[in-house]
Amino acid sequence: MPVLAVERITKRFGTNEVLKDVSLALERAEVRAICGENGAGKSTLVKIITGVHRPDAGVVLIDGKPTEIADPQHAQAHGIAVVAQELSLPPALSVLDNIWLGNRAVPLFHRRRELRERARGALERVGLGDLSLDTPVLQLSIGGRQLVELARMLTRDARVFILDEPTATLSDIEIERIFAALRALKAEGKAIIYITHRLGEVFEACDTVSVLRNGELVGTRRTAEIDRAELMRMMLGRSMAEMYPDRDSKAGTPMLVVKNLWVPPLVANFNLSAPRGAVICLAGQVGSGAIEIVRALTGLACDATGEVSIAGKPLRLRSVAKAQACKLRFISEDRAGEGVFLRLSVGHNLVATRLPDHARFGILARRSLRVAAARLAAAVGLDRARLSSPADELSGGNQQKLAFGRAIGDAPGVLLMNEPTRGVDVGARADIYRLIRQFCAEGYCVVMASSDLEEVLGIADVVVTMYRGRRVATYRSGEADMQRVLSDITHQVAAA
Amino acid sequence: MSDIAVRARLGLAEVHGRRLVIAVRLVAGAAIAAFALSTPGFASPLSINALLTAISFIGCVAVGMTFITITGNIMSLSLGATVSASALIFLASLSFGVPGALALAILFGVSVSAAQGMVVGHLRAHPILVSIAALSLLMGGAALATGGQRIYPAGTGLHIFKGRVAGIPVEALYFFATVALGQFILSWTRIGRVMVMVGSNRRAATAAGLRAASAVTTAYVIAGACSALAGVLLAARYGSGDMELGAGYDYSAIAAVLVGGTSIQGGAGSVMRTLIGVLVIAIIEVVLLLRGFSQQLQYLITGIIVLAVIMLHTISYGR
Repeated sequence: MPVLAVERITKRFGTNEVLKDVSLALERAEVRAICGENGAGKSTLVKIITGVHRPDAGVVLIDGKPTEIADPQHAQAHGIAVVAQELSLPPALSVLDNIWLGNRAVPLFHRRRELRERARGALERVGLGDLSLDTPVLQLSIGGRQLVELARMLTRDARVFILDEPTATLSDIEIERIFAALRALKAEGKAIIYITHRLGEVFEACDTVSVLRNGELVGTRRTAEIDRAELMRMMLGRSMAEMYPDRDSKAGTPMLVVKNLWVPPLVANFNLSAPRGAVICLAGQVGSGAIEIVRALTGLACDATGEVSIAGKPLRLRSVAKAQACKLRFISEDRAGEGVFLRLSVGHNLVATRLPDHARFGILARRSLRVAAARLAAAVGLDRARLSSPADELSGGNQQKLAFGRAIGDAPGVLLMNEPTRGVDVGARADIYRLIRQFCAEGYCVVMASSDLEEVLGIADVVVTMYRGRRVATYRSGEADMQRVLSDITHQVAAA
Repeated sequence: MSDIAVRARLGLAEVHGRRLVIAVRLVAGAAIAAFALSTPGFASPLSINALLTAISFIGCVAVGMTFITITGNIMSLSLGATVSASALIFLASLSFGVPGALALAILFGVSVSAAQGMVVGHLRAHPILVSIAALSLLMGGAALATGGQRIYPAGTGLHIFKGRVAGIPVEALYFFATVALGQFILSWTRIGRVMVMVGSNRRAATAAGLRAASAVTTAYVIAGACSALAGVLLAARYGSGDMELGAGYDYSAIAAVLVGGTSIQGGAGSVMRTLIGVLVIAIIEVVLLLRGFSQQLQYLITGIIVLAVIMLHTISYGR
């Protein structure tokens, strides 16, 4: 009997039907991926299972019994646990305190030792056996925190774990630890719902996959019985011949030359020469220094030193304004925190860095700004009708297009990016890759840091692998393969 | 339980919230208007003029405060003291003639405030703590300079800040001009646009290469100039002054800014909203006065209304 099932669930918000007649059943010891583009209804489905929303039609069955889930506490009492993408663990408290925080089963007068032992047991089950219970959570990596969150749910006797894009911000090693924890949970007979944008993970970690599209269930398959292309076709409703556009780049003269770049405490003595019209990928995990190098070139690392020149002209590090004056543009890895002004309109966002071109004596030419915003929106494929809506109403993919629109300059320069497709769904990803190629074709020199190896191999003309602040190897496109890149970024090679 | 669930609820509330705010605003606006117009004596020229004069002083400070709030620096607790100190400087330097005294007073307000703006903008010090320090400095400096005495005008010419033009109090004309100029700066100039972006998301502004620190400093400069203008108007009206002249103006100003609906988190709001906030609070006070409520009750009721408006904004926008 399925431990959790939904039958013929329909949910409307206003006139907008976000889930249509969706049925799923989850067995014990099953890891089920739920895939779909942004807006396909994945989150709404999770919210119905966890009692945040009530369905307009249909029922949720727990152990075969129809159950009305009133609110998230109620869902938890039924053993349904959510590990959210962004965690809510209080960082200053210890691992032990975090595990028991808010657990109503702990009596006022409890035996501390018993709590420690039970917490220890839960941590061992998720592969954190060697973690001290007294470590403050802020000392853990994001991946570590997610494992603690899993342990926390274990102490609450959860039977169904829902993971909402747990790996979006993790490095490969951390992802592997999460997968190991999932396998351990599965061996105990727990059921797991795994929401992800990354198709590779579906095949690596999941037994079955359900695909949602526009609120409808396209189908549920065993992962052993389908392949990537089939899964992608299910998600997009069409076959995607090529996710990554052809490389037609004609690498030109060196545009960006970096010598002896130091970014304390991580990056030491980094050198790079990047030509016009090519995509250079710095491939590395969190802590490899790839992101830090890009940030330093942007001018956002306050203690970076080194000789950098753009088209022969020296660039002063540590000043974003100076970097911008050298036609250097940056797209941040942290879209909400640093990339986009979420509460300002799409139009305002697009022209944020162009005000000087549309002002006389400091007074704005508002009409010319509107025209410029519309032109930029068209250039990156954003709907002009949305120019005046706040940026936080856009999907992750569209927000990223917004960031690209802002990066378009009057003349080709250097485009710096970190994790350009983080949190972007498959459909919008293809658009982003096309945009990157478009920049390239116009003569931009593109340098990006990424920990998504599939993306690195798909888009890069030159792959630079990074490990602990140092370059491991450099590959031209065609020379690099998954195996070599993966081994480069996970193990230091002797002759670096 | 989970973060995702809590955020989902807020998100849902937000959609309804915006509609709720509009509805409540309409109803409240209509209620206040009905209440005011049905109050005997409210619509008389005398009372309207008194109202306009009364809002001018706090209104100027509130316009300045709007800039500090919009750039994400919450509020300044030193604007009231800046009002008083600028008034004293204006009175004491009237011997140089009105234009000279006015220029000195404004220059003083601007520099005091700009100094705070630089500390907040460049050094990223906490704006409220900086303003508390500035408040102490101003009070202490003024006590030393005046020996605690009242200051009387050192010259003549105060009449150009008093009286009426075309039946409208001169103070109100200065105030409306300040509002117009403030709104122009905010929505029609480059620096105004940058201020809003810095307030909306300072890290994003920095990453986009905008000069966040100078935008913050400019906001403080504007706040200083507005406060100094309020000080000059007050000095002219009362003919003498001490450091009590502008006491509490910073609190009234921030109340007006928030009632108007400018976000305390920065990045959203306008000077026109602040004008509405000033008007709403002032009208309620006048109506209560005309209806014979005691001073204590007036304070109490005004406090409750301000609290209610701020709660409404907080709940409906989830922030």
